[in-house]
Amino acid sequence: MFWRQPRDRSLWHMILAPTIWALHFVLVYGVTAVLCAKWDAADLARLTIFASTAVALTLIVAVGRGAWRQWDYLDGWDDIHDRPTDNHRRRFLGHVGFLLSLVSTIGVIYVTLPAVFVETCR
Amino acid sequence: MTDHSRDAGLARRLPEAVTQPEPVGPFPPTDEMLAVPVDPALSREQADRLKQAWHTPQGWRYLSAVNNTEVGVWYSMTAFGFMLAAGVLALLMRVQLAVPENDFLSAERFNQFFTMHGSAMMFLFAVPMFEAISILLLPALLGARDMPFPRLSAYGYWCFLIGGFFVLGSVLFGVAPEGGWFMYPPLSTEAEGLGPDIWLLGLSFIEVASIAAAVELIVGTVKCRPPGMRINLMPLYAWYVLVVGGMILFAFPPLIAGDFLFELQRSFDWPFFDPERGGDPLLWQHLFWIFGHPEVYIIFLPSIAVAAMIVPTAARRPIMGYSWIVLSAVGTGFLSFGLWVHHMFTTGLPMLSLGFFSAASEAVVIPTGVQLFAFVATLIVGRVKIILPMLWIAGALAVFTAGGLTGVMLALAPFNWQVHDTYFIVAHLHYTLFGGMVFPIIGGVYYFYPSIRKKKLSERLGRWSFWLTFTGFNITFLPMHLTGLKGMPRRVFTYPGDIGWDWLNLVSTLGAFVVAAGILVFAWDLVRPKGHQPLAARNPWNGGTLEWSHDVPAQAWGVRSVPYVRSRYPLWDDPGFLERLDAGRFYIPDAPEGLRETIVTSAIDARPQHVARITGPSWSPMVAAVFTGGAFIFPTFKWYLAAGISGAFAVATVIYWLWTATARVPEAPTKDAGLGLRLPTYVSGPKAPGWWAVFITMLGDATAFASLVFGVFFYWTARPDFPPAGAEHADLRAVAAAAAALTLAWATTLGARELNRRTLRRAARILLGAGAALAAAGIAALILAVRLPEMDPTSHVYPAIMWALVVWTVAHIGAGLIMQLYCLAGSFAGRLTPRHDADLWNTTLFWHFLVVTCLVTAAVVGLLPRAL
Repeated sequence: MFWRQPRDRSLWHMILAPTIWALHFVLVYGVTAVLCAKWDAADLARLTIFASTAVALTLIVAVGRGAWRQWDYLDGWDDIHDRPTDNHRRRFLGHVGFLLSLVSTIGVIYVTLPAVFVETCR
Repeated sequence: MTDHSRDAGLARRLPEAVTQPEPVGPFPPTDEMLAVPVDPALSREQADRLKQAWHTPQGWRYLSAVNNTEVGVWYSMTAFGFMLAAGVLALLMRVQLAVPENDFLSAERFNQFFTMHGSAMMFLFAVPMFEAISILLLPALLGARDMPFPRLSAYGYWCFLIGGFFVLGSVLFGVAPEGGWFMYPPLSTEAEGLGPDIWLLGLSFIEVASIAAAVELIVGTVKCRPPGMRINLMPLYAWYVLVVGGMILFAFPPLIAGDFLFELQRSFDWPFFDPERGGDPLLWQHLFWIFGHPEVYIIFLPSIAVAAMIVPTAARRPIMGYSWIVLSAVGTGFLSFGLWVHHMFTTGLPMLSLGFFSAASEAVVIPTGVQLFAFVATLIVGRVKIILPMLWIAGALAVFTAGGLTGVMLALAPFNWQVHDTYFIVAHLHYTLFGGMVFPIIGGVYYFYPSIRKKKLSERLGRWSFWLTFTGFNITFLPMHLTGLKGMPRRVFTYPGDIGWDWLNLVSTLGAFVVAAGILVFAWDLVRPKGHQPLAARNPWNGGTLEWSHDVPAQAWGVRSVPYVRSRYPLWDDPGFLERLDAGRFYIPDAPEGLRETIVTSAIDARPQHVARITGPSWSPMVAAVFTGGAFIFPTFKWYLAAGISGAFAVATVIYWLWTATARVPEAPTKDAGLGLRLPTYVSGPKAPGWWAVFITMLGDATAFASLVFGVFFYWTARPDFPPAGAEHADLRAVAAAAAALTLAWATTLGARELNRRTLRRAARILLGAGAALAAAGIAALILAVRLPEMDPTSHVYPAIMWALVVWTVAHIGAGLIMQLYCLAGSFAGRLTPRHDADLWNTTLFWHFLVVTCLVTAAVVGLLPRAL
């Protein structure tokens, strides 16, 4: 099954970072909806958001580091992976995975910003 | 998966599982192997046999064709026809709005027109057009003979045609829906007449067809690439197809779940959206926009994918930043699911929640922008030749960027409140959709037409059409920004004079007719007779990708031989490629059995795995679509018996179609695929395209189910009286019995698969029979669980949503039961054997998903309400 595939041959690993973004987003939205609707507990909601952001960013950085190594950019400064070889496929998947980690990092930070600035549910 | 963790002691006592044949022979082929010439006489004989196998039916039987080149053309022309019809509605509305206090259209008719304009453009044009063009082009781009499931494409097309005529036809009888394309309750739940029912049932029918197409396109991209086309060599269009297919799977099901609840309320008065009985109209808005916002990107990405094919050809060099564009497609695909509430900024959600969606709406600009920059970079470093398609793409980039900038403004909640429901929104959405869809698609038609029809469209008419459409578009929609800022609301059938809106509206109306002229010029160019015109050159734009290896004049076989690919632009980089392709040097150059075949390869590295037999012309897709249509259309008129009978016939037709044409036992276990390679002719489990299709379909199905469960939690958070105090709960014993029976039904199905593989066929049959009986028992127990305590679904939303979950689950168990019986019958008939067990693998996969559905339903219906 797909989780047994090595990461250099796996689309699932490539999309790990945005998947973490999605889970973080759902969690943040769900927690806010429940805490604000049921108990008007904005502070608790914000704390939960900050905590889950810390976890999400840590995970994305870990994924991104793996992807960066797989991309292996510093070995030859090559960012065009268009040869029909295992090496180019591996580096291509690493490159896209790395870029997706960057976008996901930005996405997670953006989604956290409202909790920094907005202090109430209203 | 659980099947790997079976009891070792038991496994030792059972016979060995039958093994499947593996590919044998060299791969990849060496240059020497590729250089060996093919005997011309042999090549001609092979070509004749291929022609025979792929012969397109003639005369009235032409309509039974299922080949992607036929179905794709019908599909796109039908979608274009619906677009013209929806465009006429727009023109009529613009006439009404040209001057203040106009009485050209009545308010009621105007409401019907704007509802149908939006609905038709979105559901009958934009999304189907993507599917149509992809069905038409994807096999050509991937050097495949056809899509993996041609009859499924045909079925999807006929569903689309019937549903489209039904929905759009309602306008002619004055019974069309009037509530806007998003059908908000309570306006649309309370509306008299058939309108909302036509919308809900007709479009659900089409959505099912859309999901079918998405499944086929994903499997086509993942499993039907030519040998050697690794994931990093795939044409960018295929990347976009993959992403958009995935988005459809997660975006459309919430809407189907919403339609299901909505129609239950309209038909049976179950109060999902009625606040007086515990319901909440906002649930519909959530479900609609969880679909509706990704939908925008589902429309935009494939069109930008067309641009990604044209730009390198125009720049005469490989695309810059291939990985960056893949990032941008995948990233946009994900982020677009975090935007839906920006359509609901004025609904009074917590300020904090609005902030998340505002932030995500700003974040999506990053991946969207990256791909545009990649295109611009390619053009800067290339030697650009402004071919006609590139003109349309340039227009698209300009218009879309303008729409994107107003999008950034609208993502900010405070600005959004100011212009909510004004013409500013109308201007913004038309800039994104015209720039992001209409311009690139027309550019794509000019570009790909020689590959599809073997003739060129007119350069002169094309330029006329472009400049008319481009100027007309800006004359129409640029002033609308101002009209909106001056406060004119959307969806009003007329307005008073002298408040500064008059001249703006008049300009917009004039512009609309210029757009119409531009589109008509294009339509004429498309359909004008071209008999006297010479055939187009084989590669008129000098493109580098596989679609330009097509045959002139046309051949129905897709490709003469399925190529071995080792570059992103084989026609530019691989000398001798075309000669080898044409001579039949590559894979499966022959059809000695007279069967239609294509090559199935591994998902990442495209190593050849299997020669797949694919289905040929048949009436069954059309017949099945007619009966399916009946099952969706009759309930509009409350003819439930007729709908049930029609549905039963649809199921019977599909079973006939599967039984007679799919997973047939082949004449030999392997066959010579060319270049020394022998490939299996029958595979089951994860190597088979059918297994992937079930897996992908069930992901979508699980999303719809998750949306219903989301509904339960939504009511719990949004309403203080959910579940209401003292409410009757489902019968716990019956729920437990259902959970037990259904878990056992799943276990027996899995057991049947394992025993069958170990040649214990009789034991497998007994287990399948027992599984079907357990499934039936599970259905009965689940219904009793909500029947016994007399939970009345019309009394309050709590019993209603519990009933809805049970109805949904029971319908799925019914399907699972039919599949078990189908396998049982197959086993008796000798079409399901220990080695030929694809049907049983697929049934087991279905049951994996089903058992999760059943257990979640049992937990949510039986346990959750007692805990809340």
